[in-house]
Parts: sequence; structure tokens; C-alpha cells
Amino acid sequence: MATVADRIYLRRRIVNVISLVLSGAATLFGLFWLVWILWTTVTKGIDAFGLHLFTQMTPPPGEVSGGLANALFGSLMMCLLAVLMATPIGIAAGTYLAEYANHRKIGETIRFINDILLSAPSIVLGLFVYTLVVEPLGGFSGWSGAIALGFIVLPVVVRTTDEMLRLVPGTMREAALSLGVPQWKVNIQVLYKAALPGIVTGVLLALARISGETAPLLFTALNNQYWNADLTQPMASVPVVIFQFAMSPYEYWNSLAWAGAFIVTIFVLLISLSARAILLRNKMAND
Amino acid sequence: MTNMQIKFSHAVPTSAAPLDTREVKLAARNLGFHYGKFQALKDINLDVPEKRVTALIGPSGCGKSTLLRIFNRIYSIYPGQRAEGEVILDGENILAPTYSLNKLRSKIGMVFQKPVPFPMSIYDNIAYGIGHYEKLPRSQMDDRVEEALGQAALWHEVKDKLKQSALGLSGGQQQRVCIARAVALKPEVLLFDEPTSALDPIATGKIEQLIAELKQQFTILIVTHNMQQAARCSDFTAFMYLGELVEHGVTETIFTKPTKQQTEDYITGRFG
Repeated sequence: MATVADRIYLRRRIVNVISLVLSGAATLFGLFWLVWILWTTVTKGIDAFGLHLFTQMTPPPGEVSGGLANALFGSLMMCLLAVLMATPIGIAAGTYLAEYANHRKIGETIRFINDILLSAPSIVLGLFVYTLVVEPLGGFSGWSGAIALGFIVLPVVVRTTDEMLRLVPGTMREAALSLGVPQWKVNIQVLYKAALPGIVTGVLLALARISGETAPLLFTALNNQYWNADLTQPMASVPVVIFQFAMSPYEYWNSLAWAGAFIVTIFVLLISLSARAILLRNKMAND
Repeated sequence: MTNMQIKFSHAVPTSAAPLDTREVKLAARNLGFHYGKFQALKDINLDVPEKRVTALIGPSGCGKSTLLRIFNRIYSIYPGQRAEGEVILDGENILAPTYSLNKLRSKIGMVFQKPVPFPMSIYDNIAYGIGHYEKLPRSQMDDRVEEALGQAALWHEVKDKLKQSALGLSGGQQQRVCIARAVALKPEVLLFDEPTSALDPIATGKIEQLIAELKQQFTILIVTHNMQQAARCSDFTAFMYLGELVEHGVTETIFTKPTKQQTEDYITGRFG
């Protein structure tokens, strides 16, 4: 004899099973495509993989040998330069927001503008750098590519520094200041120490993001078929080469594009893993 | 100003020396405090005797922590907070803009409610504050760190792991690191803002015992929610209510024969 309570309980269990099945199916659906994308990248990438990718230049059309050395070098240079230029500025600005302008109108305004910059389409930033740097200097260059990528890194670093510093409990500031230590020393010696894992993670994730950016490089660094270490000249980069080679009719170019995609994916994966490792190690040290 | 002298309406117990025979280390004079437009403290007059423990008690929001935070001017890092009146330390008004914050904070140390060790090694936690005032060679710094950890009754527990992060210690140990960090500067006054409210009873007992030892060398002010704690470890008690100092006197008297009805109601648990 089923009571009212029993019937309600049964209905709840049925609803529960249905929602579990539906959300599980949605997860599987999403994962299916993700795994497919990764699988394609890895299989096609490995087919085209070899040491020659790192030693030979991008080939002219029609050739069936060549690598990605110039593009890999260009990407590495421009990404590193972007991070090196944007990180100090971003940390300083984030510190200002969290430690000096917090709860003040100017701070809120800057935070809002930074969020706009954070979500700005990267092609807009590329266009900005095109007018600001490329046109006045009269040509495409590695520098302008690095600057365009720097504009993507900057708001990420500002945001993470700001947030990580604001996560440091206010009592830690009070405790340090109550020892008579001046604010700037407290910032550098105590608060940065507390926030460092988070800030480093932010920088790494920004690096991961720009390593695949194509749009801002198209009309700043352009591309270069030859080996070039001169930052005042046009420079090749992996994403732009992928873009160019993948759309071409030449089979060898297509396979090089897959190899480039594979390398970028692995690079991003490694960065994400090290970011996680840093956070995890910090968490374990605190527990 | 009417009560420059603290009134004693009852016989002074023998356990604590009479207040007027001890030197007054720290004194609040007509002290008021504002959070923006809100006045949190009104006309506080309080004498804190040297090398004794003075407890500040009262219900939440009565202003006892606010009062404590005036004594090392830590409130001044927040815009909109301001104090008026005077706080006299060794004959000088520490609220005067000309009084050096550096000097003030080297003389008055503070321990907070939650243990907040800095994210560095135990050794560096202690050495950090010292290094700001004195440039010591390594061997002397080692001695100072050992001395401070000894004063905080922590040396024997941590002497083999000074290089390890202070964040790995237990809550009670972390709080003693914070006490060691404060005493390492050789201050004259120590402010405790509910130092045991985040700790378990055993750790609380250790901290209370420590406070009893520290009063040989330091003038101590402690804010506490726990009336038993005030009764156990203080020599003098000040009862505050709604931003005013209601009654102040020898702890035993306050707890056995308070003169004000409000004090009696609070300590007998009728409110608060």
C-alpha cells in the first residue's frame, strides 16, 4: 500500500534519474567533439611530425620538404617579448588597483575599462597596433606583433594581480603594517609572496592564450618565408603559417599546418599543466 | 574631564596592586572615533597600568576592538576612519600627526584575532620585522629569533624546522608565531584582539598562560568576548557598552561587585 509520501519519493527518484541521464548525455556530447578535435590534431600532427620541423624553413609552394623553424622561432620571440613587456606593467597596475584604489571610484573605473580590454576582440587590438606602430614605422615587424600580443596579455595580468592581491586577507596587511613596515615594502615582501602563485598562473595562461592568436599578427608581424631574427622585419609565426598553409591546395603545406597545430596544442597543454602544478603545490604547502 | 583617576568603590583585592601605585603606561583622554559619519566611540578615558593585563569586555559592536585599534593607529590605513582626543604613551600624544608611525609601531605590537603568519618560513616571519628596524649580523639575528620564539613558548616545538613554512603549523602555533613576531621588536605594549577566538581550548589555555608570563615584561591590553578569559588572565577590566566606557577597575571587583547596573547585567549574562 503506497502512501502519499512513498509516491512523492518515487516521483523524485524518477526525476532524479532523468536529470542525471540528461546532464550525463550533454557532457558526453560536449566531450565527444573535444576528443575528436584533439584526436584529429594529434594523429594528423604526429604523421607530419619530425625533427625537420625544427630545423628547416617553411617551404615555397609546391615543394615537398621543409619545416616550421622560422615560424616557431618567430612565435617564441614575439610571445616571450609580449609577456616580458606586459607583465611588469600589468603587475604594477594590478597592485595599484588592489592596494591603493580599491573601493574608490578611480579604481572601479579602471577595473571596468580593463575588463573591456580583456574581452576586446584580438583583431581590434591588431588594428590598433597597425595604426599605432606599423603605419608610422612604415612596415610590418616582429616588434609590432609582440606589442599587439602584449595588449592581450596586459589586461589578463592586471586582472589576475588585482584579484589575487584582493584575495590576500586584510588582516595580513594589518599584521605587516602593525610591525611598522611601510606599505610599499609590505606589498613587495609580504603580499606578492602570498599572491605569487596566482599571478604566475595568470601570466602562464595569458602566454597560452597568445601562443595561438592569429588575428593580431596578420597585420602587424605579417609573415616571413625565411629565417629572420631581426625584430624590425616581418616575422613568421606558427598561427599565421597554419592559417596560410591550411587553406592552400598543396598537400605538404596542409600537413605542415597540422604539425603546427599539434605543436601549439602540446605547448598550451604543457603551460596549463604547469599552471595547475603551481597552484596545487601552493595549496598543499598551505594545508 | 572628571575621571582622570580611576574610581574604586570597593576594597582593592590583594591579588593585584592598586592601580594608582602603578605607573600609567598608556592613557586615553576624551577619545572619540568615527567610521565615516558613524561615531563608534564617545569620550573614552582609560588608564592602562604598566606591566599589567587590562581586559576590554563588552557585547559585540560596543567598540572594544575599535579602541584597541586606535592604540597603534592601524585604523589609519582605511580612508574615512578618524580618531579625536588624545592617547598618551609615555607622556606623548601618539595621535599627533607629528608622532612617527614607525616609532609607535615599534613600541606597541599587535596580535590579531585570526593567526596570520606571513607566507614565509618560521624564521623569516620573526626576522622580518626585526630586519626593518635593525641590521643585524646573522648570528645575532639567530639569537633574536630564538629569544622571541622562546618568549612565545614556541621554541622547543619549532627549533628543528625554522626553515619550514609557518603556514604548515597548527592554528595555536601560528598564533604563537604572531606573538613572537610582535615581541621580537621588543615593544613596550602588546595589544591582543580576541587572540584565542579562532583556537581550540588547549591552544587557548597555552595562549592565556603565555599572556600571564608576558606581563612581566609588557603592558598588555586584551579584547575578549570570553568573560572567563578576562577573569582568568587580566588584572584590570574595562567594560564597554555602545561606544562608551561604562566601568573600569580591578578585575575581581568588576566581576564580583560591579558598581554599574549595566556591568552587572552583562557579566551575569543578562544581555550581550
